[in-house]
Amino acid sequence: MVQSKVLGVSTTRRRFLTLAGVSASSLLLSNCARQMGGSSDRAKTPNNPAASGSDKSLAVYSWANYSDPALIESFKAKTGIQTTVDTYDSNETMLAKLQAGGGQNYSILFPSDYMATQMITLGLLQPLDLSKLAGLDQLMAQWKNPTYDPGNAHSIPATWGTTGFIYDPERLGFELKSWEDLFANQAKLGRKVTLINDVREVLGSVIKAQGHSLNTTDTAQVKAAYEKLAGFKPAIANFITNGWEDQLASGDILVSMAYSSDAQVLMSEQPNLTYVVPESGSSIWTDTIAIPKTAPNPEAAYTWMNFFLNPETSVDLVTRLRFATPNQATYAKLPKELQENRTLFPPDAVLAKCEGIAPLPDAATQIYDQYWTQLTSA
Amino acid sequence: MQRLTPRDPSELGEVNRPPARPERDLPWLQPLLLLAPAGLWLLLLLVLPSLLLLELSLIPGFRLGQAPAAYGIGNYVTLLDPLYLRVVGRSLFYACGTTLLCLLLGFPVAYWITLLAPRRWRSLLLLGFVLPLWTSSLLRAYAWITILRPSGVLNSFLGWLHLPGQTWLNSTPAIFIGMTYSFLPYMVLILSATLEKLDRRLLEAAADLGAKPSQTFWQVTLPQTLPGIAAGGLLVFISALGDFVVPDLLGGSSSMTVSRLVYQQFLGATRNWGLASSLSVLLMVAVGAAIALLLRFGDRKSASF
Repeated sequence: MVQSKVLGVSTTRRRFLTLAGVSASSLLLSNCARQMGGSSDRAKTPNNPAASGSDKSLAVYSWANYSDPALIESFKAKTGIQTTVDTYDSNETMLAKLQAGGGQNYSILFPSDYMATQMITLGLLQPLDLSKLAGLDQLMAQWKNPTYDPGNAHSIPATWGTTGFIYDPERLGFELKSWEDLFANQAKLGRKVTLINDVREVLGSVIKAQGHSLNTTDTAQVKAAYEKLAGFKPAIANFITNGWEDQLASGDILVSMAYSSDAQVLMSEQPNLTYVVPESGSSIWTDTIAIPKTAPNPEAAYTWMNFFLNPETSVDLVTRLRFATPNQATYAKLPKELQENRTLFPPDAVLAKCEGIAPLPDAATQIYDQYWTQLTSA
Repeated sequence: MQRLTPRDPSELGEVNRPPARPERDLPWLQPLLLLAPAGLWLLLLLVLPSLLLLELSLIPGFRLGQAPAAYGIGNYVTLLDPLYLRVVGRSLFYACGTTLLCLLLGFPVAYWITLLAPRRWRSLLLLGFVLPLWTSSLLRAYAWITILRPSGVLNSFLGWLHLPGQTWLNSTPAIFIGMTYSFLPYMVLILSATLEKLDRRLLEAAADLGAKPSQTFWQVTLPQTLPGIAAGGLLVFISALGDFVVPDLLGGSSSMTVSRLVYQQFLGATRNWGLASSLSVLLMVAVGAAIALLLRFGDRKSASF
């Protein structure tokens, strides 16, 4: 422990690593915020009660697209609670911040399904007192007892979606229904396809196209998917989750793999675009609402959850921000245009083929990661 | 000395001790006070984090939230995998290529600004060259996407000239364009600082002695600017090696570099902070070696503009 002597304090290893995490991640995060355009809504709210922990304040750490100033206003009008929202752009960023001790003022988080599972395993989420939540019985069947969090014991579903391809059928010139269609038309697609910048989504989707589970831990199946994609490399322009929108609209990109939530935003502006979930299925994802163990104001957090669960209060939000609600009662209140939106609410036959991404053991994750590194560097 | 001996020792102490103190203590106290703020800053934000990274890099497969494994060099052994060596190689290739391009493009510009352009325009020209540095590197990368994409500004222009279009976006040329654009101002600044100090009497002497302009350039001008070339080259190399934005946004599907890999390992699905730290240490060692070379061979005066 040379370093400890340098510091002049007798730190135990565990404490030292915590320190390490804090400084490493704060460095990293500040850098990400700068480079990836991370944003904070904090400035928009007049007073910042995040750290005070009083009954009338609530700090939320969320994806950018699940809140807006109108939500904060109406939440305050109905409950008297002043909310501040900070946003993140990846589950891992949120996890790292929380683990490094930088998220102690947050009472509400929005982890995605696999991340919720991971955080439950890591002991970061509070078990929910379900008696304080009203309307869980109105959830769609699929979310009453989700595999990522059995019995909604630690989280409630906020929104969900699928992963698929968005394209302009006229411009593309062939019908795109599956990965096989893409592979078969590779010659026409030279550097005109973007895929999501996420190892599990991309490799998993191709693994599904080969007829296996996207949560496979079988190295051979991962390798086979990698080889398919490696052969398809000449057609892949880039691995990006966002930022393909302009290039798809201008025709520089012909096909983009995208989350349904992002796809339908663009499609509402450009009706010539189509979204399709690959025939073999893809991932179905859920973004949940959860309360961290360190939450300073769990009572306000339950109020927030009930605000999302109550169809009366959530229908405006869901209509305005256009996300797929897992709440049957809220769905029933939506305008027809949204109810019939097949990108947001795909038919059951499509959903039946989709599968949630689950956390894998480290050894398997490592294998995915190595093939991913190989794919993106070769 | 004779005068001192008969005096009372207590008087000696009273008279001599107080004034002696500032004289004896100041030599180390003053620089300490002056250096303390910067030193503390460096210690807390540079030395300490680097040591923490070093420690993390020595814990094989360390992940936050898990019990750390015993110390070992497992992460560095993993880096020897051809998979990662190729990524390191690609980073070096981008950095070297960018350095070379910056030198080839920057030298004529610096030469023109300092030796040929009217003296009163010199500062303004240099300022104009540095101006792009005032905008965010992210913004500049996005601007290049707009320019380079198939239906972008450059191809519209080429089409107007009835020339065939380019498809550089999402490939290696786009990375070189973006990085060269980013780091060219550094090269020009340092080279012009060196060229400014060029002894022009030597150029006149060379001409007087019958040397052709090309001979003068290769045998008189260039050797005098070598320290500047080394300084500029290493500065560009270091910056290019650590660049994250350009390869990520312009490089396409095969542009994994060390800095992107560090990000992927820290915040990707594996969250392998151990491996990410060892990659960071590798990057720091490479940059440190480059800086050591810079101090040894470079023109220190022009590097510290």
